Amino acid sequence: MTRYTQLLLSGFLLLFLLACLSLAMGAESLPIKTVLQTLIHGGDQDFIVNYYRLPRILIAILVGMGLAISGVLTQGIIRNPLASPDLMGISGGAGLAACTMLLIWPNIDNVWLPPIALLGGFSAALVIWLLNRWHNPSPARLALVGIAISAFLSSCINFLLILHPVEVNSAMIWLTGSLWGRNWDYVWPLLPWLIVLVPFSFYLAWSLDLFALGEDTADALGVDTKGLQIAALLSAVALASVSVAVCGTIGFVGLLAPHLARLLVGSRHKLVLPVAALVGALLVLSADTLARNLAPPLELPAGVLTAIIGAPYFLFLLHRYKGY
Amino acid sequence: MSLRSPLLLAALLLLPLSFLSQHTHAATIEHDAGTLTLDKTPTRIVTLAFSFVDALAVAGVSPVGIADDGDKNRIIKSVRDLIGDWQSVGSRYQPSLEAIAALKPDLIIADSGRHHSIYQDLSLIAPTLMLQSRGITYRENLAVMQKISSAVDKSAQFKMRLKKHQKRMLDLKNQLNNSDTYQFAIVTDKGMWLHSPSSYAGSVIKELGLNSPMTKNINEPYLQTSFEQLLKTNPDWLLVGQYTENTVLDKWQKSPLWKMLSMAKSKQLIHVSASVWSLTSGMLAAEQIAQELASHLKK
Repeated sequence: MTRYTQLLLSGFLLLFLLACLSLAMGAESLPIKTVLQTLIHGGDQDFIVNYYRLPRILIAILVGMGLAISGVLTQGIIRNPLASPDLMGISGGAGLAACTMLLIWPNIDNVWLPPIALLGGFSAALVIWLLNRWHNPSPARLALVGIAISAFLSSCINFLLILHPVEVNSAMIWLTGSLWGRNWDYVWPLLPWLIVLVPFSFYLAWSLDLFALGEDTADALGVDTKGLQIAALLSAVALASVSVAVCGTIGFVGLLAPHLARLLVGSRHKLVLPVAALVGALLVLSADTLARNLAPPLELPAGVLTAIIGAPYFLFLLHRYKGY
Repeated sequence: MSLRSPLLLAALLLLPLSFLSQHTHAATIEHDAGTLTLDKTPTRIVTLAFSFVDALAVAGVSPVGIADDGDKNRIIKSVRDLIGDWQSVGSRYQPSLEAIAALKPDLIIADSGRHHSIYQDLSLIAPTLMLQSRGITYRENLAVMQKISSAVDKSAQFKMRLKKHQKRMLDLKNQLNNSDTYQFAIVTDKGMWLHSPSSYAGSVIKELGLNSPMTKNINEPYLQTSFEQLLKTNPDWLLVGQYTENTVLDKWQKSPLWKMLSMAKSKQLIHVSASVWSLTSGMLAAEQIAQELASHLKK
C-alpha cells in the first residue's frame, strides 16, 4: 500500500468515526449501541437519529466535498492560491439568488434551490471574469476584488432581509451558513448535482496537472486549454452554487481544504482533489458537530466556526503572497 | 303534553352533549398551517415562543420544554411563578429539534412567523400548532390564547380568568383616564424601535384608553427610529425597555435637542422591563404593563 492510499483510507476512517460521533452526540447524547439499533430498526430515537442527525451529516459531507473541489478547480484554473468560490463572490451570488427566491416564493419546492443558486453563482462569476479580462489584476488584487464583490452581495442579502423581516434564522443561513433545519428534503435536491459534478471534476483533474505547467506548455502537450478552462470553471461555480443553495454561504472551506490537501500530498491535482474533498467534508462535518455540541441545546451557525479557522489562515496567505 | 314537550326537547338537545363529554377529549383547532385534531388532552407540551407560555400559565398547565434562549429568567416572573420547572430546547430563532424530540412531547406550539421552515420536522415529532406570537395586537393575542386553552382542554379556566382579566384592565383603564400621549420603545446600542399601536405593547396602551403620539394609522408593529424622528413623534411619556446595557439614548441625552422633547421637560422618561413589555405577550404581561403604567401615573 502506498503512502497515498494509506492517507486516503485513514481520511475515510476519520470521516466515518466523526460521522458516528456526530450521530451519537448532541442535545441528547445516545450510546453507540442505541444509535446502531435505531439506524437499522428505528424505534424510540428514530427522529433524532434517522430524521435529524443522519441527513444533516450527509449534507455536511456533500457540501464540504462540493466546496472543497470547487476551491481546487478555481485555484488550479486561475493559478491563484488566494482564489476560492466564497472569496470570489460566487457563493455570495448563489446565496443572494436563493435568498431572493425564498422571499418571493416562500413555499417553493427545494428542488428549485440549486438551479436558481446556480444562476446567481454564474452571474457573479461572469462579473469576475469580465473584470479579469478588462483589468487583468494580480492574484492578490483579484482576491481583494472578489472580497469586495462578496461584501457587496452579502450587503444585498442583508438589505433584502431588512426590507422583508422574515425569520431571523434565514438571515443566519444566508449570511453565515448553517445546517439548522436541514433534513432529507434537502439531501435529494443536492445529490444528483454532486453525482454528476464530482466525477466530472476528477476527470478534469488529469488535464489540470498539465495546465499547471503554464498555458503554452499545456497547449503544446495537446490539452485543449480554452475548453479545459471553461469546463473547470463551470463545474467549480456549479459545485459551489449547489452547496450554497442548501446550507448558505459556509465560508473558507473552499480556500482551506485545497491548501491543507496540498500540504499533505503535494500539488498534483489528481492526488489533491480526492484528499481536498475528504478534508472539506471533515471540516464542515466537524464544524456542524461542534455547532450542535458547544452549548446544547443552543445551536450556532456552522459558518461561524469555519470562519474562526478560515479567516486567520486567509490573512496568513495574503501576507505570504504579498508580492505575488 | 305542553309541559312535557319542552323537557323532551331539552333532553334531546342535551343528549349529544353528554355523549361528547364522555369522550376523553377531541379538540379541533384551526391554526396557521391548517387544522389540528387532538384525540386526547396533551400533557407534555413544548412551546417555542414566550407568549405561549403566558397562555399555558393562565390555563394552569406547565410546559415540559420552552425555547428560552438558554436563560430561564427570560420568562417573566409572574408567568414563572405559575408553572413548574422546564427543560430548555434552545433559542427561539433556531430551537434544537433533537432537544424537542428528546422530551417526547405530545403537543408543540410553534411561532408561525419564525418556525415556518421547520413545521414538517416538528410535525414528525408531535402534533404541532403554528400560531402567531410576534407583531400581533392585544386582541389578536387573546384569540391565540383562547386557541391554546382549548387545545389543552382548559377553555373553562381560560374563560374564568379572562373575566377577571377584563375587570382588572377596566379598573385600571378608569384610573388612567387622561389625555397625554404614551409611547413604548425598545432601545439597544444599535438604535431605537418605537412600538406602534399595532404592536403588543402599543395596543395594550390603546386598550387602556391612553393616546398614542402616532396620529396616522400604522400597520407596522416596530418602527426603527432616529433621534430626529423621535423629536417629531415627541410623546408626552416615553417608556423604554433596554436590550443592551449601553444604548443610543446615552448619546441622544447629551444632545442640546434632547431638552426640546416634552417628556424630557416633564421628566416623563420611564425605564421599564423589556421582558415584560416586549419579549413576551399575554394576559399576565398585559396586566403587568397596565399596573406599571398606573403606578407611574399616580406619582
